[in-house]
Amino acid sequence: MLVAFFESVKYVGHLLPISFLRIYLGYYYLEVALLKYQGDYLLRPRLAEQIAEWLPASNAPQWFKIFASTYMIPNWSSLAFVVLGLEFAVAVSYIIGFVVRPMAMVAVALCVVMLLISGPGSEDLFKTFLAIHFVLAWVGAGRCLGIDYYYYKRRRGLWW
Amino acid sequence: MKHFILFLSFIFLVLFLAVLKKNEQGLGKNSVTTLRIFGYGSFTGTWGPGPLLKEEFEKTCQCKVEFLESSDSGVILQRLRMEGESLRIDLVLGLDQFDLAKAQNEHKWRQLSLGNLDVYSAVKPALGSTSFVPYDWGPLTFIARKGDLNESMPKNLDDLLSPQWSRKIALQDPRTSSPGMQFLYWVLKSKGEAEGFQYIAKMMSQAHSFSPSWSTAYGLFRNGQAKMVYSYMTSPLYHEIEEKDPSVVGLQFEEPLPVQFEFVGIPEYCRNCELAEKFINLMLSSQGQKMIMEKNYMLPVMKGVMEGTKFEKLAVGTYRSDFSVPSLNEIESLLRKWTEIRRGEFN
Repeated sequence: MLVAFFESVKYVGHLLPISFLRIYLGYYYLEVALLKYQGDYLLRPRLAEQIAEWLPASNAPQWFKIFASTYMIPNWSSLAFVVLGLEFAVAVSYIIGFVVRPMAMVAVALCVVMLLISGPGSEDLFKTFLAIHFVLAWVGAGRCLGIDYYYYKRRRGLWW
Repeated sequence: MKHFILFLSFIFLVLFLAVLKKNEQGLGKNSVTTLRIFGYGSFTGTWGPGPLLKEEFEKTCQCKVEFLESSDSGVILQRLRMEGESLRIDLVLGLDQFDLAKAQNEHKWRQLSLGNLDVYSAVKPALGSTSFVPYDWGPLTFIARKGDLNESMPKNLDDLLSPQWSRKIALQDPRTSSPGMQFLYWVLKSKGEAEGFQYIAKMMSQAHSFSPSWSTAYGLFRNGQAKMVYSYMTSPLYHEIEEKDPSVVGLQFEEPLPVQFEFVGIPEYCRNCELAEKFINLMLSSQGQKMIMEKNYMLPVMKGVMEGTKFEKLAVGTYRSDFSVPSLNEIESLLRKWTEIRRGEFN
């Protein structure tokens, strides 16, 4: 597996620049997730506050607003745990290059939700991330400098 | 697929164990009772009276006071409605008379037993509710700099329609801000509903903007983008005391000024209800009232607090002495009309 990890540079070297982008984004997500874990993100209703404050002004469809106010806000602690878990998962996946394609699709979904519940200050950031995750999923960015190459070589298919 | 599910499960398992361990470690630290207070930023922030009251209260309560902040008092109810019990709130402060009907309609509140309060006569009409008690008050008016007024000081609402003030008045959106609602209600009470809305339509072109909160509107005035702002009669005192700037003045109008009372209440689902009531007692004590007056720049409700201070000499002019809690339907209907006018402005 380790051999395949470095061998990937030789065979899919054209993906190297995008791999650096992937690893950098993974590092960013790790930093954000660690900050939330060490802070009070899981203890205080930060996420619920964010939703409640921005949802009325958000461009989100009506069904999402109803869903958010009925299910997401009252269950903020479970939601915060899921969001934090997914952020850690995206971080680890991007850094080691494992299951990058499906994880990038999860990150796309996460970005869409954050886009709908966040204020205008972070709108541009999530839109940019959305595009990057989508590209990473499209090209299969885990194949270069990543464990995905090991499986890609043996199994092929959409997952790698 | 198998790898993906295993990977996700592994990450969540590790996170779950980490959180469990963190909670066990933090259990000892969090055994102190915490009184959670929900209020608006200018009260709970470092420059407001909140931290002083907290410090004073923590000296004797053997508890911790924690503030939960909202950007404007108008947003407080919005968040209470959406988050409800999950906010784990023991005390809510910063509701004004327009919020009371909504607050009582949407939530259950505890009855307060505070005994007889020796309040100023202007405050007496606001003592009607058994669940909410006022802790400060202040007439609202337009604030401007002497230099911008030249010799054409507006003396009544119609003077504000002068071309001189076109796009120069910072107002608040009545849908999200309580001063914004106070202005709308003031106009309608002074001019009658039909003429009042005609006036509001004309004011649309005079307004620099309709900010979602008082602080945003006041910020526009402070940095010079707007020449006039709708604020509290006590606002000039802030500039005089904190910034040694006597050039900011509150305008006197022929129409009696509207008065805003700020209320505090305890939601029925409070966890530390007795502590919450004790905190209200502190807010209404001479010491607490002085802190609120000096930091929140609002007039105290309890007698004997502003005597001998600059607040006593403040010329508040004539203000409306009638106190009413408008019904929910009335407020909604007024806001609907305001929104239609505002929408017409954009079209």
